[in-house]
Amino acid sequence: MKTDVLVVGAGPAGIKAALTADRAGADVILIDESVFLGGQLRSQTQYFSNLPKNIDSGLGIEIYNELENQLNNSNITVFTNHTMVGSFKNGNIGVSNGEKVLEIQSKKNILAPGAQEEALIFPGWTLPGVMTAGAAQILVNREFVRPGNEAIMVGSNIFALEVALLLQQCGVSVKAIIEEQLNIQCKDTSKLGEIGNIPIFTSSRIKAARGRGKVEQVIIETPNGENELYVDLICVANGFRPILEPFEILNCEFTYKKGLGGWIPKYDNRFLTGNPNCYVAGNAAGITDLGPILLTGEIAAWNALGEIGLVSSIVVDKKIKNLWVELSRLEDEYVFKERLNLINNTSAIKY
Amino acid sequence: MEIKQHPILEKTLQDDIYFYFNDKKMKAKKGQTVAGALMANGILEFGRSRKLNQARGLYCGVGRCMSCYVTINNQYHIISCTTLLEEGMKVYSNNSDPKVGRDVIEN
Ligand SMILES: Cc1cc2nc3c(=O)[nH]c(=O)nc-3n(C[C@H](O)[C@H](O)[C@H](O)COP(=O)(O)OP(=O)(O)OC[C@H]3O[C@@H](n4cnc5c(N)ncnc54)[C@H](O)[C@@H]3O)c2cc1C
Ligand code: FES
Repeated sequence: MKTDVLVVGAGPAGIKAALTADRAGADVILIDESVFLGGQLRSQTQYFSNLPKNIDSGLGIEIYNELENQLNNSNITVFTNHTMVGSFKNGNIGVSNGEKVLEIQSKKNILAPGAQEEALIFPGWTLPGVMTAGAAQILVNREFVRPGNEAIMVGSNIFALEVALLLQQCGVSVKAIIEEQLNIQCKDTSKLGEIGNIPIFTSSRIKAARGRGKVEQVIIETPNGENELYVDLICVANGFRPILEPFEILNCEFTYKKGLGGWIPKYDNRFLTGNPNCYVAGNAAGITDLGPILLTGEIAAWNALGEIGLVSSIVVDKKIKNLWVELSRLEDEYVFKERLNLINNTSAIKY
Repeated sequence: MEIKQHPILEKTLQDDIYFYFNDKKMKAKKGQTVAGALMANGILEFGRSRKLNQARGLYCGVGRCMSCYVTINNQYHIISCTTLLEEGMKVYSNNSDPKVGRDVIEN
């Protein structure tokens, strides 16, 4: 199977990249290992407003619905339930649905596999009823299932507070928020107001979770001593980390950037990785917010289009310049600085 | 554990669908994954770990941690959180090593 651009991962970054390439006249194949399109955006019910100019504010799922609409009106070939599993010696990409492997010959690849949640290890962490905050969000917003009745949330970043709030709105009693650090991590004070009377324990951690076949009890260590709580749900919001396997398959180089989520593929200001046919987009290029995630997809796509020769370099340069300006405006200052830091150290790569 | 009225989303899942878990008939909603359907029925323990024989259930919900393995229609080690439920599906716990090797030898 031949195409101009292969996009791996149909989250917001991948969809945006695919749409950008499609509109410029490229042949595009978009694959995702899930049966659902939209990546994590599909399970998000928070309101997003810090977005690129051409996108309306709305709930995550509404923004996804609009992207899906645009996908349906495009010429993009979409394969769900297909995972990128390897590459052939000739550079073609192997994509499998578990039964057959498709060989895709593309001029450029844009990889947008997103991020995964960091686990947290404590005695009892594998008991059913312990799950990531993201899993709880998926259960509520996509499966319409209440993951428990009485819960604690481990972590106090904005995502932790948002999921704690969502759980409460669904009738789950959130008994405590546990934060290992000295201070609450969420910088958004309005979120703290919404949390209301859920007690937050800082400088605290889980000592152990106990139960027969499932969580029944959790013991937390606080500065004022140990606390036993009877809960059936322990949600863990321990941060996100970029997914690297597709980049490993394509022999990209890696680097460690704490402010971008840890190990990430090296890339330059075009979002081109150490593999000259492989661009990176979305949270795989550094953990950030939805607005910047969409912009990185666009930047990668315009550069790929330019390299293929479908768009002149003058047009590409102009687009990219504007998109970088917008990125600097939308992105968290510290994250953007880390990104520039990475790029400045990488621009020495010449192909 | 089903959410009939969602605090934010107007549209919930509507159509009933039936499946079997360890031979017991259960009801779920069309559009749910196998893991979602089990949790909707109050089942948290999907199976047991093969070495330490500890309970295992849903952890990441996105097909990355392999904690939610089940057997579906005689196929071992299916990731239940990324598999859509189908009418009449026969889902079993994974409680030990799969018999795959033995099956091959026996046949
Ligand atoms: C469980 C979870 C919950 C989250 N919740 C929030 C939230 O509430 N708010 C927030 O701001 N951020 C959240 N995030 C962060 C999330 O990464 C971003 O919100 C955003 O969705 C990232 O967009 P993306 O396009 O980079 O990746 P994603 O949205 O993660 O999409 C990546 C897609 O790539 C696919 N994929 C991965 N590897 C392969 C492969 N080898 N082959 C084929 N397809 C592949 C995946 O199936 C997925 O659909 C969450 C992340 C996770 C993991
Ligand atoms: S819960 Fe992690 S793979 Fe299913």
